[in-house]
Amino acid sequence: MAELVTLTIDGQEVSVPRGTTILEAAKKIGKQVPHYCYHPGMSSPAMCRLCLVEVEGAPKSMPSCVTAVTEDQIVHTESKQAVGNREGVLEFYLVNHPLDCPICDMSGECDLQDYVHAEGRAHGRSEEPKRVFGRDDFGGDVLFYGDRCVMCTRCVRFMNEVEQDERLTVVERGNRSVIDTFFEEGLEGTHWHGNIIDICPVGALVSKEFLYKARAWDLEHTPSICPSCSQGCNIELHTRDNLIQRIKPRENLEVNGWWMCDYGRHNHGWMNRGIRLEDPLVRTLDGAAGPMRWRDALEQLLQHVGVMGEGRVKAVATPFASNEDLGTLAELVGTLGGGDMVYRSVRVEEEVVLKGFPTLARRKDLAPNTNGAELIGFTRVGDDQAAGGLEDIAKHDGIVIIMGDELSDQAEDFGQEAGLFVYLGDQQSPAASNAHFVFPLTTFAEQEGSFTNIARRVQRFSPALEPSSMARPAWLILGALAAELNNGDAPRSAADAFSGLARRVEAFAGLTYQDIGIRGAVVNETYVLSES
Amino acid sequence: MAISVKVMNRPEPEDTSYLRAALSGMALTFRHLVNPSKVTQQYPEEPTDLSPRWRGTHRMEVHADGRPKCVACGLCPTVCPANCIRLVGGEDDQGNRYPIVYEIDEFRCIFCGMCQEVCPVEAIHVGQHFENAEYTRSRFVYDLDRLMEQDHPTTLLWDPSDPSSE
Repeated sequence: MAELVTLTIDGQEVSVPRGTTILEAAKKIGKQVPHYCYHPGMSSPAMCRLCLVEVEGAPKSMPSCVTAVTEDQIVHTESKQAVGNREGVLEFYLVNHPLDCPICDMSGECDLQDYVHAEGRAHGRSEEPKRVFGRDDFGGDVLFYGDRCVMCTRCVRFMNEVEQDERLTVVERGNRSVIDTFFEEGLEGTHWHGNIIDICPVGALVSKEFLYKARAWDLEHTPSICPSCSQGCNIELHTRDNLIQRIKPRENLEVNGWWMCDYGRHNHGWMNRGIRLEDPLVRTLDGAAGPMRWRDALEQLLQHVGVMGEGRVKAVATPFASNEDLGTLAELVGTLGGGDMVYRSVRVEEEVVLKGFPTLARRKDLAPNTNGAELIGFTRVGDDQAAGGLEDIAKHDGIVIIMGDELSDQAEDFGQEAGLFVYLGDQQSPAASNAHFVFPLTTFAEQEGSFTNIARRVQRFSPALEPSSMARPAWLILGALAAELNNGDAPRSAADAFSGLARRVEAFAGLTYQDIGIRGAVVNETYVLSES
Repeated sequence: MAISVKVMNRPEPEDTSYLRAALSGMALTFRHLVNPSKVTQQYPEEPTDLSPRWRGTHRMEVHADGRPKCVACGLCPTVCPANCIRLVGGEDDQGNRYPIVYEIDEFRCIFCGMCQEVCPVEAIHVGQHFENAEYTRSRFVYDLDRLMEQDHPTTLLWDPSDPSSE
């Protein structure tokens, strides 16, 4: 434990460990000192001059982002000197800023807009013409508007210090200085450059994919977990008109810091897919599948099970399903007399590690919940393209349950001999044409749940979109069926389904939705220890 | 409490006679017959005069090359209290921000003029226009082309010589 230093900021006493900067200490008492170049995940060059504060006894204003606290220091962040400094600095920033907020994508979430609105001058005094750079394509997903840039160099430092692939630099001097790429190389081929768009405090770096798509104030933000690999980065889904518009990382120092990879950032088209399974379909004796109400369909299924009796069950799940979905599927399989539970997932050759934050990587496993599936008792089959491995299930004559796996590599006669073939998914699949029951599921973005990441950290996600028509989360459907069969209680919420899982699976024992919270929690320690 | 009776006097005949009022009314009528002053407007044969601050159906200003002035900044749908503007922004072939979809539902519109007030590029205006008969309801959702075709005068939200209405 480091030695504590006590200082006074704006009349408020605060104790922080020695070596903390004034800016961090101010943050602790809820004072946000305006800043551009400082970012908690990178070094501070103290070049934006916006965070200068008055320190009593110091000959001039001190940059709070690099000045360490000292004992009995008295700091003023709202004094005439500090506010006057900010007003002056902001006026300088606006000398060459084009003020094109109406067409700027950052408008509404821009630090320059906020600070100038709060503390800047109402009118500029500059009469000289503004210098013009125009816009530049940096490659990858990044467009650069040089005129809007405030030269905080966060993007340059991110590429140098965090991604550690030097692609950006400052060229020219004085008011001609501008961020540029080396030759024509650009950011093409880097895997984390989306983060420089997030950390850019103004609209200088914008996403090509999101360009002009939506205004910042129109977007709803939903905390979620990235479903694109087993790292489980904490993210926010930004939605408008019931569509995912973009994905932004959410700070969680235990998992992803402030960052996320470009693959995960742009892999959201599938969440917006329009063509979906709409209604529960039940195949009648003549072979045609017709839509049916949920209650009737489930009753028919229970009758069918009653006729079949108990038998070996073969279940295929997708590792994109939540712990709750997988847990209730396992419970149902157990209730039906047990059987094989398998999953298939895509794996790639290499991890893409973020060098400056080595615990973060785009993992080999491109599914969010393979660890959860393993802990709940599913085994992995098939190859690294998530194909094959279902030969015995395709010809199984007992009960076959497919959850979420689209069976895209399977032939149309899949499950022809099955006594009972239940297919749950969000998309119609040709290989499910023999299914007796087809149930529409909500996607990950439409339901609440949790994933278990590569470090066995259970993390919750929230629903961001309205579900399509009759689709329901799998835990609700399977939970109701299992409850009917074993005279138990059907789960009424995702939290309910998770507590059921915690009762049945040792690894999750003792965990509740409350424990997991917004930051996640690692699965049962005794389980982890006993295994190793 | 003792009961008392209040005696009301009958009004005098000269106060109750309608004759005087009727005669003065007839006098006014005859005066107008001889010296008519025009109040009735012969609408629609004669067009009416609208106040320069009349707020009617919208129009979109266009550049000299025919492009709409709108830059799809999204302020009018944000400020619109009736939520009647639908805007989808995009990028045109010259890299400019422009509205791919710009629709105003004139039935939902309450003609407050805030869209005109908030527009940073003076593109959308409410107009001095009110004759909007159509055969179908859907024709009252004005799309971008329709808004650009409108040629009626636009509204002066304030008098330039007296901007604070004093």
